[in-house]
Amino acid sequence: MSPRPRLDHVRRPAILAAAAEVIRERGLENTRVADVAERAGTSAPAILYWFASKSELLTVALTAAEENFYQQLHASLAELGSARERIVRLIESSTGTGDYDAALWIDLWARALRDEELAGIREQLDLRWRSTIAAIVREGHEAGEFRKTNPDELALLLGSLLDGLSVQIALGDPAVTPERARELCLRLAGRELGCDLTGHPVGAAA
Amino acid sequence: MTEAAVAKGARERILAAAVERIASDGIDDVRIARIAMDAGVSTSLVHYHFETREALLEQALEYSFELAGDVRIGEEDGSVPNHTRRLAAMIDQCLPYSGELERDWILWVELWLRAVRHSELRPTAARLYARMRRWFAEAIVAGAEAGEFDRSADPERTADRVLALCDGFGVRALLGDVPVERAREEVWAVIAEELGVDPAPPRV
Repeated sequence: MSPRPRLDHVRRPAILAAAAEVIRERGLENTRVADVAERAGTSAPAILYWFASKSELLTVALTAAEENFYQQLHASLAELGSARERIVRLIESSTGTGDYDAALWIDLWARALRDEELAGIREQLDLRWRSTIAAIVREGHEAGEFRKTNPDELALLLGSLLDGLSVQIALGDPAVTPERARELCLRLAGRELGCDLTGHPVGAAA
Repeated sequence: MTEAAVAKGARERILAAAVERIASDGIDDVRIARIAMDAGVSTSLVHYHFETREALLEQALEYSFELAGDVRIGEEDGSVPNHTRRLAAMIDQCLPYSGELERDWILWVELWLRAVRHSELRPTAARLYARMRRWFAEAIVAGAEAGEFDRSADPERTADRVLALCDGFGVRALLGDVPVERAREEVWAVIAEELGVDPAPPRV
């Protein structure tokens, strides 16, 4: 009997969501196709119908999870009227304990050191993140809200600070709470951009 | 050699071997048998010194960071003040320059990875970070007292920032996004501004 699933367009997203969950729980290395199949309520052959290998499944799952993150982020940013508010919201969304998946990133960094394919994915995802930051910085220049700086360099700087802090948040280091991390980032970004980002909290964020 | 000295020698050899294996194989794939072989001891001796695999991994990580903490600064150079040079040398110790520092860096990332998924390792990670934070904060306080650094800078906050920037840029240097020299410049530029010193990193 043909293994082709009937509801093709429904299956793939469900598989990717299941993969993202399993990866989050078990880590990249320990995610097996069988685990994903079980979570998705299907069989391993059905998974492999869509994805040639575990490697491909991981790649697509990671990219899809990031896609979700960006959709939510952009929806959230679109509500805001100024670049200043947007950079604050972006920083808040990456120093919370919920939204930004630090554990997954740490996993990706560690694996990227040993696996070329994952290194490529990591680089792509990172570039996307940095260009998101750079875009807000440019908007701020154009609107006259921010002092003129090199947007890509600031994105690298802010991205690096966020990465470093997110490690300690993910490890539950008592000295680095999300609030402290947020403050450190807002101060740094504010200094570079020539405006005070710490004084005015922007709506409710995680 | 006394028995105690021999025992100490074996324990250190095991730790050194464990450090190398974590860096080359990754923390999840480390095998006691291989470490024993590398150290030239029996697996039972490894178990004698380290009750569990977790204990060995934890102590191996601490061992490698102990070594890293010893910062040597070169000859005194009249043009650059002491505390500034010392701080720059400390930052260098926290970046993945090739060789031992790069190896230590890989260990550092492996520690993160394991501590994220195994909460038993988190106290070790927190302890190591606390030690580094203190290390930097003390150096900043000393520099402020000597009049080299801006007194208005908060040593704790600056130390936090240094650590986070070293981690963030260090990972990127390790992964090849930026050359490690650039990472050094970027970290220094931020700290220099906070401390009111020359934004160009001093030669150490």
